[in-house]
Amino acid sequence: MNNLNSLLNQQQMSSLHDDSQFDPPPSHDDFLQQMLSMNTPAAAFPWADDQHHQISGAAARAMMLQQQLLLSRSLTDANDLRSPTEAGNGFFPLPRGDRDDVVDDHSFKTDIAENDASIQALFNGFTGSLGQTTNQDQHFTHSQADSFGASASAAAPSQPSATGQPRQRVRARRGQATDPHSIAERLRRERIAERMKALQELVPNANRTDKASMLDEIIDYVKFLRLQVKVLSTSRLGGVGAVAPLIGDASSQGKKDNGGDIAEKEGMATAEQKVAKLLEEDMGSAMQYLQGKGLCLMPISLATSISSSTQTST
Amino acid sequence: MNIQPPNSSSIKSRFAVKFVQAMKRLSKRRGMGDRYKRYRATRAAARVSLAAAVGPERAWSRAVLRRIKKRRGLIGRTTTNPRRNLRGLVPGGKGMDYCSLLSETAHYITCLQAQVQVMQDMLHLSSP
Repeated sequence: MNNLNSLLNQQQMSSLHDDSQFDPPPSHDDFLQQMLSMNTPAAAFPWADDQHHQISGAAARAMMLQQQLLLSRSLTDANDLRSPTEAGNGFFPLPRGDRDDVVDDHSFKTDIAENDASIQALFNGFTGSLGQTTNQDQHFTHSQADSFGASASAAAPSQPSATGQPRQRVRARRGQATDPHSIAERLRRERIAERMKALQELVPNANRTDKASMLDEIIDYVKFLRLQVKVLSTSRLGGVGAVAPLIGDASSQGKKDNGGDIAEKEGMATAEQKVAKLLEEDMGSAMQYLQGKGLCLMPISLATSISSSTQTST
Repeated sequence: MNIQPPNSSSIKSRFAVKFVQAMKRLSKRRGMGDRYKRYRATRAAARVSLAAAVGPERAWSRAVLRRIKKRRGLIGRTTTNPRRNLRGLVPGGKGMDYCSLLSETAHYITCLQAQVQVMQDMLHLSSP
């Protein structure tokens, strides 16, 4: 067991020395050692125990080949940020999910099943080149079935049909899990993206897919709003006596108009027109306008009844 | 290099003609009820009309006319450091990280919209 352990570690170190971008954190080495040592349930690596002397040489070569495969894949995969961290972490696809290196039993078993599945796939693929016999594969399936039961049986049949898929699936998750920097970066990017989406809904003309032009659009819109406030401040609103009519002081307005009844009647006609126009746009602003004048809307029947009652009273 | 100052009156008349023509075309265009779109189009029309009135004699008018031909960024594009410009617009934006700057901008925009609406209503109410 120690042989295999040290062998794997050596290979890992030697192959990773050249590539400066791969930087496996020490915790992963610990994890590897944990996996390889007998801390975990003894049934985890029966094949390692049973065929220890038979497999070590072949397994070592297989591991090296697998690692080179992963390395070459990650080197060609320039866009994916996750692949370097993934490839640098050694042979076994490390546990997926958001836990960095915490291993609980249940997930560990399924991961081991997947690890074994991928390794088995590797062995199946390299059977010709390594000169392995098929009885070893049978050994693997037997041991898997013995130790893991349902999870292994689920993993094993899927393995021949989709040899590349389990590996790729684990690869993506490993990239998410391993590097805390990339997790923080991803969170930050997601937060920025959702805020940009919220801004897009606010700003009209928001059909820009480009992020830079979207920013330009937002800036233009903020400038426009501030300009509007400036313009409105310099308009009649900023003048003297402009705010008094808004307080709904009808008497003061009458004095200002200097015309008494005639002015009121004229004002009423234009006010009606204004109210009609405002009602088309927005109900609320129409109501505000009337309130400012000290007026209200009522159904005609009520108005006639009130007017008749007042007429009779006066 | 011609350093003669421009003749204001001739430029005024030429600009007035072109600008009125552009505004007529603008009023016929559809989808111009939106205040923001109208503002953008008016500003662009004003800029282009002025450059057309001045003609290709000056470098700045040539630059403006070139921009129309390229069909991009008629209004001054903030292609340099849009993030910095946004920080300058939103109050207190200088000392913020980008993420909170975006959320502050969203809130600021809604508040500005509300403010503009109220002030416009007051304007309409104060002088019927």
